[in-house]
Amino acid sequence: MTRKPALILCLIGSCLVQLIVVASSHAIPAFSRAYKVECSTCHTIYPELNEYGEAFLKNSYVYFGKGQKAAKAKEAPPTPKATAKPAGGTMEVKGEGDADKLSKLKGGALGAPEASAPAPAQEAAATAPDTAPGGEAKPEGLLLAAIPELLPISFTASIHATYDHNAVNELDLSTRALKLNAGGNFREKAAFFATYVAYSEGLRDNNTTTSAPLRNNGTDINELFVIWRHAFDTPINFKVGRMQPKLGLWKSNNKLSTTNSFAPYAYTVGVSEFKLEQPQDALEANAVLANRFFVAAGVVNRKDQNTKEGYGHISYKFGGADYLANEPEVDLAKEESIFDFLTVTVGAYGYYGKNGTPNTPTGVSPPIQNSYYRAGADLDILYKLFRLRVAGVLGKDDNAYLNLSSTPIELKSYVAAVEGEYTFLQNLIGALRFEYQDDGRGLVRRFIPTLAYAPLQNVKIALEYKHEIVTSYRFPSNGSSIKRPDDTAQDITNKIGTLGVTFSF
Amino acid sequence: MRKLIILVTLFTLVIAAVADARIRVKGRGDRMNFDPDSIPANYRASFDLMSRKCVKCHTMERTVIAVQTGRAPITGQPFDRQAVKAYGIKMLRKPNSNMNKQEIREVVILLNYLLDENAR
Repeated sequence: MTRKPALILCLIGSCLVQLIVVASSHAIPAFSRAYKVECSTCHTIYPELNEYGEAFLKNSYVYFGKGQKAAKAKEAPPTPKATAKPAGGTMEVKGEGDADKLSKLKGGALGAPEASAPAPAQEAAATAPDTAPGGEAKPEGLLLAAIPELLPISFTASIHATYDHNAVNELDLSTRALKLNAGGNFREKAAFFATYVAYSEGLRDNNTTTSAPLRNNGTDINELFVIWRHAFDTPINFKVGRMQPKLGLWKSNNKLSTTNSFAPYAYTVGVSEFKLEQPQDALEANAVLANRFFVAAGVVNRKDQNTKEGYGHISYKFGGADYLANEPEVDLAKEESIFDFLTVTVGAYGYYGKNGTPNTPTGVSPPIQNSYYRAGADLDILYKLFRLRVAGVLGKDDNAYLNLSSTPIELKSYVAAVEGEYTFLQNLIGALRFEYQDDGRGLVRRFIPTLAYAPLQNVKIALEYKHEIVTSYRFPSNGSSIKRPDDTAQDITNKIGTLGVTFSF
Repeated sequence: MRKLIILVTLFTLVIAAVADARIRVKGRGDRMNFDPDSIPANYRASFDLMSRKCVKCHTMERTVIAVQTGRAPITGQPFDRQAVKAYGIKMLRKPNSNMNKQEIREVVILLNYLLDENAR
């Protein structure tokens, strides 16, 4: 076996990575429009989240403090009911409108409990349930109907130029994507999020020699889920739909790089298409406990498969703003301490599942299944202008190649990533990442420097380079269709540079 | 006639109250800021610091409105002493805010003074 197949495999893989740059999003101008805030409220450089963005995400797209505020909201002093005495009569005629009742209804709409004590004017104004962030009153009709005042839709477009040292077409200027994003909440009781890939660059048709531009790779719903927020007045949120299961500390797009996913979240094993960042049809329950502890657990339903898959996540945050965006206690009268600026978040997760041939349709017997698990841990350290992210996962697939024979190949995988990030300016951030990936097919080491610049808060220019050293395991040349890792290895180096522009509106 | 007298009296009282306000505001929109002449000498250095550092990311209009109304104009959250401290800590921890703890403390003390004056 020569280097050629492995080389082709790597090239195809790298091309696909460049073509399928349609990771799900959580950063959308719809939120900016709804709450009249800057992108930088929740982001470092879009779409990477800062700790307030994380809090907003964990609070089911409800603006910081609003839920707590509504819970503490006191009922305004009751307004006297409209009464009228007809001339010459003593009968009291009540008007149709009951301001007191409406006030209670509107209070109830935001979960404000009834309270007997009237609030001070300032507090009452600030905690009025029909007051939107920005202090503007929401139209009563929209409030009661739970309809967002602004259509919560936005678009994200990305255009990339890619240089691949090993490709035939070394410089590719035609990697584009257009996504539609939607998200928001309904009266803080329910929330929703959707990402629809309207366009992504398709593969070239080898049969054509025309100058026609590449076709659309296909449209797709990347994520579409709804959240029942604080179900039964508990801290628990129920999330159902197509979503990225809450496993690692960061969602797939919560990073500086626009084209290079974190290897622990994006790697696959054998012929299995499973990866941690893959959107799944799932039901998830999650909650913020004691302000700094986050737990999530869910069940995944795979199409045509009776067996359900399960996952769980826990994370805890030391220092910094908590998961409800409350600032830490800092004594301003004391000398500066490292702990004033240090934030450490640790997380751990596990996923257990099965995939393979469908097991529910008739005529498929016996099902060929691959049972697998992933267990991982993440660490996020933030100190002033520095940020360090460490992610590691180990996994096991008992039939990674969906082998029909009685001796399925079991593969263990060990993948890790370390990324250091430095904020040069508020709109200029650099990062350097090292990845180690042993997925049973080979050993991959990547060095990925990234420089991101945001001339405007909704426009991001990212310059990235990926230096990839692939040590492919050779497979037996005995004619067997079963690929078995061998100890003999050979190195291939890929050098891929990307200059990309991403903008949202 | 009596109504007119009452109206004139009320108008005069309002004008007098505004004229008597110790914290005055100058400019409009992006140029809005507290009138430096209305800031006591012992707070002048803190005021200069605030006017120089805070405008790196937002206009002083945001601060003025927050002090005057008691509500943060963007979030609608109460802007009281507790909130001032929280904002101070947030700005201290904000990357590239270029403010140290001592500077934040001075600005927090100044904002507390402005809140107290505004409440008079």
